[in-house]
Order: sequence, then structure tokens, then C-alpha cells
Amino acid sequence: MGAVYLPSQFGFVLVPLANVQVKPGDKLRITCQYSHIGQADGQPLYAAIGNEGWAGFDEVLHGSKTINVPEDATWNYHEEYVDIAITTAISAGFYDLYAKIGGTFPKVISPSLLDVVEVLAEIPESEFGEISITDYAKV
Amino acid sequence: MAQYADIVEIVAPGDAAVGSRVDITVRIKNKYSSTIGIMVGGALEYGVSPWPGISFSESSANVTGGATHSFSGYFNMPDKRITIHAYSYYYGSDGSWHFDDEMTRTVDLAEEIESEFGSIAIISYQRR
Repeated sequence: MGAVYLPSQFGFVLVPLANVQVKPGDKLRITCQYSHIGQADGQPLYAAIGNEGWAGFDEVLHGSKTINVPEDATWNYHEEYVDIAITTAISAGFYDLYAKIGGTFPKVISPSLLDVVEVLAEIPESEFGEISITDYAKV
Repeated sequence: MAQYADIVEIVAPGDAAVGSRVDITVRIKNKYSSTIGIMVGGALEYGVSPWPGISFSESSANVTGGATHSFSGYFNMPDKRITIHAYSYYYGSDGSWHFDDEMTRTVDLAEEIESEFGSIAIISYQRR
């Protein structure tokens, strides 16, 4: 189970996050909270499913969209989401999540949440194997 | 020293961001004992010539003796610190406007903070 520290009136609180199960054809909506100060800005919000490793985050699927951030005279927190389409490009198993703001050179990168996404195996197409008469009676 | 149309105050912010609308108020007191016509004028000094004017929604008014009238105006902040020059005029018995008083006030250019992101955290994720 993943968890994330969020600011609150009491300082930072640890919010536990449950695992989520997805399968090909689903979308995973990832909601992020970020802090910002300064002029209004437009930046890509990017999130990826993959595996955190010693060499970094090995992305398998990702989603991104441009967010328009308003001008903030002081540090303010905002929330925004991005969807990742789950395709057959990802195999069944447990995966990690991370998000970032910015393009090639990210402005901020979130901590990775480990093993929070379980990708289920694709359910096969409808198929009939055999049939046999099991009973017969007068009605 | 004003004879009749005494500029009491220019109300304006201490600073403003480039391109933003700056609203100001020029308060002018009628020092005469009875009602006279008072007119306001204004210009911005920041190194360009001629000095750009200030738009006032109402540039003149009949002001009763001893009263103070507020004239509202605005301008768009250029990319430099500016000095507001406000002028007052009174309507004379000869049927002409007469210059009477002047006051200045500066408005600094507000420092704009570059966009900066401090942190990001995933707070939820759900299947759609």
C-alpha cells in the first residue's frame, strides 16, 4: 500500500493510499497536488506507470496534459489530474506510479508510490469449448 | 498654493504590475465660498514625450463651497516607474478654465515573481 505526505493545518499528514486494480481498456486517473508561486504558467502534467529501480523509473505507460496555473502571489497548493490509458502494452502485475510537472527538464517530480497499481490479465474473448446433454425429462 | 481648486490628495497604489490597470482618485477641494466648476487633468511622466494622459470618467463637476470632490481615473501601467501629475482648473467668471494646482505621486513597477513549482505529490488514483 502506498502513502503520501500532504500539508494540513497540523503540518504534514501521512495519507495511506490503497492499491487499485486495472485492466486493458480502463483509464487510471491520477490526481496530484502541487505548490506554485509567481506568474501564471502553462506546463505539462505527466504521470507514468512503471517500475522504480536503482537506475530510475522504468516507464511502461504514461499520460500527460497541459495545465494552466493561475498567478500566485504567495505559495499556493493546487490539484489537477491526468489520465493514463491502460493498454495491452502492459502485462499483468504490480506497478509503481510517479508524476511530474514540466517537459524534458521537469520542474518538480513526485515521490514514487510503490506497488499501488495491479494490472489484471486481460479476460479472453468469449469462447465455447464443448457441450453435452446432462439430463432429459418430460415437461 | 491653489487659489480655488486645491488638490488634496492623489489616491493610487504604491506599485503596479506592467500592463495592469491602475485606478486612481484625485480629490480636489473647492476653497471658494460658493459653488464653482472644477476640472481635473492628469498625465504620466516616465520618459516618453508627450506625456500620456490619464482617463477620467468625469473630468469636471460643479463643487459646492468648501466641499471636496473625488475624480476617478485610470491608466495602464507601463514598464517603468511612473510619476502621476494631477492638475486642477476652476471655471472663471470670464467663461474660461484657469489652471490652479498641481500634485504628483509616484507608482513603482511591481516586481513580478517568475513562475516556480515547489512540490508535487500524487494524492489519489482511481480506475475510470
